[in-house]
Amino acid sequence: MIEVDGLTKRYGSTVAVQDLSFTVSAGRVTGFLGPNGAGKSTTMRVILGLVHPTSGTTSVLGSPYRELRQPEKRVGALLETFDAHPGRSGRSHLRVLALAGGIPRSRVEEVLALVELTGAGRRRVKGYSLGMRQRLGLAAALLGDPEVLVLDEPANGLDPQGIRWLRDFLRSLAAEGRTILVSSHVLAEVAQTVDDLVIIHRGKLVQQAAMAEVEAMAAKATTVRSPDAPRLATLLVAEGVDATVVADDRLSVHSSTERVGEVAAAHGIVLHELTAERASLEEVFLELTGEPGERGG
Amino acid sequence: MIRLYLAELLKLRTLRGTWGFVIVALGLAALFTAGGIGGASEQARLEPQYQFRLVLDIAFPTGILSLLLGIVLFTNEFRHGTIARTLLAAPRRWRLVVTKLLAGATTGTALEFVAFATTLAIVVIWLGALDVPLERGDLADSAGRALVGVILAGVLGAALGGAVHSQVGALVGALVWMFVVEPLCWVLLGLLDWDGAATTSRRLRSEESSIPRTRASRSRARSG
Repeated sequence: MIEVDGLTKRYGSTVAVQDLSFTVSAGRVTGFLGPNGAGKSTTMRVILGLVHPTSGTTSVLGSPYRELRQPEKRVGALLETFDAHPGRSGRSHLRVLALAGGIPRSRVEEVLALVELTGAGRRRVKGYSLGMRQRLGLAAALLGDPEVLVLDEPANGLDPQGIRWLRDFLRSLAAEGRTILVSSHVLAEVAQTVDDLVIIHRGKLVQQAAMAEVEAMAAKATTVRSPDAPRLATLLVAEGVDATVVADDRLSVHSSTERVGEVAAAHGIVLHELTAERASLEEVFLELTGEPGERGG
Repeated sequence: MIRLYLAELLKLRTLRGTWGFVIVALGLAALFTAGGIGGASEQARLEPQYQFRLVLDIAFPTGILSLLLGIVLFTNEFRHGTIARTLLAAPRRWRLVVTKLLAGATTGTALEFVAFATTLAIVVIWLGALDVPLERGDLADSAGRALVGVILAGVLGAALGGAVHSQVGALVGALVWMFVVEPLCWVLLGLLDWDGAATTSRRLRSEESSIPRTRASRSRARSG
């Protein structure tokens, strides 16, 4: 479990994070969203004890990160900036981390295999592609087989196959009861992975909700096509539903597809189409962050 | 703490640059020693303290290498952005600093060991061929002193790297200090005529004693 309580971080006159509070539950993947510069990386760095907060507290598994014994065995982290020496091989990089963290050396080969980098383990990191570097970062995060994972933009540089692999992988880790916090500036990227969402903007909390709630926010109207559209509209209005005839055979209804279907069935009206219109998750995200023109910036 | 220290040593061992320092230390020790023996006259080789100076002379280039490697082992963390990952394993920063200083001392020891072994091998073979008896006491004494100096240089380098962060800045600063500022200071100090200054001081004191006493000073002298 990760807890952030009243966190504020100022750099001089710039406020990076302001009075931010949220919790990340065990056994769930929590997406941490916000445009670039929203304060996600700063928050994650405070959680990991790399940055001192101006005020407020953070804790991982009940303690501040700095007070955890053998933290690399309990918390795995992937930072946004690549953090391996380019002149060292991928395997040596992991061996150094394993030695520093008190993790058995055999685990290095396991995580290399897990991220499919066994063949490239001997190569120096400066020859790695962006996707390989990201996989190496994930291997480093998984090295201690940690209970908590804090991943800053883990999908950066991954190809679609890699993103799918990451998604399945995170889901399987959450199913094992681990706590996973994943940041991203693209909601669509994490939408299929996360259970919960924490959305921040300009350092402030905008929304903490389950993914299902955010998806419900995306629901707009139901489009109905029927040869008996005017009659169906009259019946729906009589039921207290907002329905408008937009063409001879087409209605726009502000209700669920289930409700429309039930009314149509009850009166023997034939339907040719029943479609729930939805805003894209990206639109919901932009609406929540209040800046329709700002995209992932 | 021990794990962090061993990890620091593994970091150094797994970089080619570290081995470059070792090779350069070996080469410079061979060069300085060969120069010290080949360039000395037969009579000079038999002078007391000759072998002591021969071993101590290699402490200078080895000390510089130790200082530079100390700087590199800390500033690499900032140059390549690995400091955050290192701090995740060592969230209490003082531990990291102590570990880096110990690693600096260790690299200094290793470099001095390589340099001394090279020097000793050349001394034993070359001076043995010239029938110059080995002064074991002198060799051990100078090796001990050189080791202390080179270790301190390694620790100083790591401390400098931790304080400056910029690898280029710290390396250039250290080299400028050693090869420009410090020699310049010695030159400036050498310009001072210490003997002349002492003579002037003595003359001023004697002139003061010959100045006729004022009424007040005479009165003070009587009362005193």
